[in-house]
Amino acid sequence: MIAVQNVVHERGETTALDGVSLRVDDGEFLALVGPNGSGKTTLVRHLNGLLDPDEGSVTVDGASVPENPVAARTSVGMVFQNPRDCFVAATVEADVAFGPENLGLDRAEIDRRVTAALEAVGMTTHRQRRIDRLSGGQQARVAIAGALAMEPAHLVLDEPFSGLDWPSRRTVLERLEALSADGTSLVIVTHDLRGLLERVDRIVALASGTVAFDGPPGAVAPRLESLGVRPC
Amino acid sequence: MLSYEPGDSVAHHLDPRSKLLVQGGFAAVAFVYTTPRGLAALTAVAFGLLAVARTAPHRVLWEFRFVFPFLFAAPLLGGFAWGAWFVPEDAIPSALAGYRALLVFLVAAAYVRTTPVRDSRAAIQWAVPGRPGQFLGMGVAFVFRFLPVLRADIGRIRDGYRARLGTERSVPERMGLLVVAAFNRAFDRADRFSLALRARCFSWNPTLPEVGFSPLDVPAVLVGTAFLAIAGYGAIWAP
Amino acid sequence: MSNSTAAEVDLVGDETTLNIARAALFAALMGAFAYVAFPYPLSPAPVTLQVLGVFLAGLFLGPLWGAAAMVLYLLAGALGAPVFSNGGAGLGVLLGPTGGYLFSYPLAALAVGAVAHGGLELRSLAEASVARLVGGMVLGVAVIYGIGVPFLWWNLEMTLRTAVVTGAVVFVPAEAAKMTAAIGIVRSDAIRAA
Repeated sequence: MIAVQNVVHERGETTALDGVSLRVDDGEFLALVGPNGSGKTTLVRHLNGLLDPDEGSVTVDGASVPENPVAARTSVGMVFQNPRDCFVAATVEADVAFGPENLGLDRAEIDRRVTAALEAVGMTTHRQRRIDRLSGGQQARVAIAGALAMEPAHLVLDEPFSGLDWPSRRTVLERLEALSADGTSLVIVTHDLRGLLERVDRIVALASGTVAFDGPPGAVAPRLESLGVRPC
Repeated sequence: MLSYEPGDSVAHHLDPRSKLLVQGGFAAVAFVYTTPRGLAALTAVAFGLLAVARTAPHRVLWEFRFVFPFLFAAPLLGGFAWGAWFVPEDAIPSALAGYRALLVFLVAAAYVRTTPVRDSRAAIQWAVPGRPGQFLGMGVAFVFRFLPVLRADIGRIRDGYRARLGTERSVPERMGLLVVAAFNRAFDRADRFSLALRARCFSWNPTLPEVGFSPLDVPAVLVGTAFLAIAGYGAIWAP
Repeated sequence: MSNSTAAEVDLVGDETTLNIARAALFAALMGAFAYVAFPYPLSPAPVTLQVLGVFLAGLFLGPLWGAAAMVLYLLAGALGAPVFSNGGAGLGVLLGPTGGYLFSYPLAALAVGAVAHGGLELRSLAEASVARLVGGMVLGVAVIYGIGVPFLWWNLEMTLRTAVVTGAVVFVPAEAAKMTAAIGIVRSDAIRAA
């Protein structure tokens, strides 16, 4: 379980997060929405310790994130917007292996994890391919595999669908749904809920660094436009 | 462009360390025996090594063309002493040295074409343990990873300037504009990349890529050691 | 899950990670600059942006990380990344006639950075005087040619006069142009990351 309590994040003169609290239970499927600049990306970067809060606390399974970065980063996988700049290696296999290598696992275990992660995103046959020769949708799936190879309990995806055409988007969505069914909790940052509204358990909307809505998808539908999200 | 190409030659199957040993040994011999006879023998050896790597010599020579002006200018200018006619004796050492550079480049090209970055990184981290090795090994891997990306960035920036009549500005100004734009893009990429590294637990003590000698490496190591022995003998007893 | 970890994971610190990423990207940028040649009438070798890259490494990454970036550049090139002039790569380039210039880059970046920042720490360039910037770059150029020309001389067994003329004198105007460009870049505040 991820617990964010009253987190304040100052960025220079402006306050990016102003007392945000959020709970992500194990196995939950959650969409985090809000207009540009509402603090979505800043918030998720606190979930695995990429940012440290100025006030408040973030814990994963009861352990403070800033004090246990390795535990937080293995438990909370992160997939960034525009994965192109985030790949570490030129080939699919070498990139997916990067996380487990950093954990110091032995080769057999790394190999098992790479196989499992590629299977989970349906990219097994592309294992030896160069990443820059793959389509945008395939690259998005490799980025997810790179996070899955850490065997995280939670997976956070920042705008995973931006720049994807509809078939790629649907493929990624199906893979995510399968992960959710297997018990991985998912946090998807987006400003476009198409295809998500009927799948997620909960929606959290941010506005100007505070939580404007937190509830089931049924309750949010009539309010989407006022929350700065495309209605669907 | 001279770069790694997947393949199935003998050299592709060699351990990177034995290839570096052969390469270093060859260069040492070439520097000790920079004589017509020595270089003639080394030419045969260099072609042999290229054959082992199944690399065509003429393609490598084409890659080497940017050094030719230096190679030709040195003996020509060396031969023209102040106020005198061309003195061939003064030009010979430069010509031999230029030819030596060419041979060393040929053999190095065989390594470049047959060794993926993963192998090179493994060799680095075998030679330099600990944090310095991890910095050099990962750093080199990242350079390989981002070189094509940044080249494409620069190409797009140049196209943009051409479209907006940037060619009418002075050279320092054009250099400045291009460099600033390229630099800013590269630093933005570095910022995003470093976040991704941190999210995936970038550590000082990861599991290293494996390197291992195979039976094929035995002759390669023998050849490399023989080169070093010949060079050592020549350096001490004079060729 | 973390119990299957073989040993304690020794994370690279946040700031060091950023510096490693920047050094590697800068080294790759140096490699990309090698393909950008401005025609130059005084020498058969075209003028590339690389010496400007050495200046900027010292100025914007600081003396230590600037030098580290240059080490990565050379090592990547030696091991086969096509980062040297016109896509050259391999140990052969470093052992060839122009190898001395390349070998001098880490030291030159260190010199430029140390003079401009007044020490090994990275400081804001806004506080550095133009005299400091120019002084740093002049020292950097001295280091590059101080190592590059003797190497060329030794490597091609030239006469010293030939080495100095072909290896240094003809490039002086080009280096001056690059210093002007570097000063302009620093003063314009156009580079955001510093």
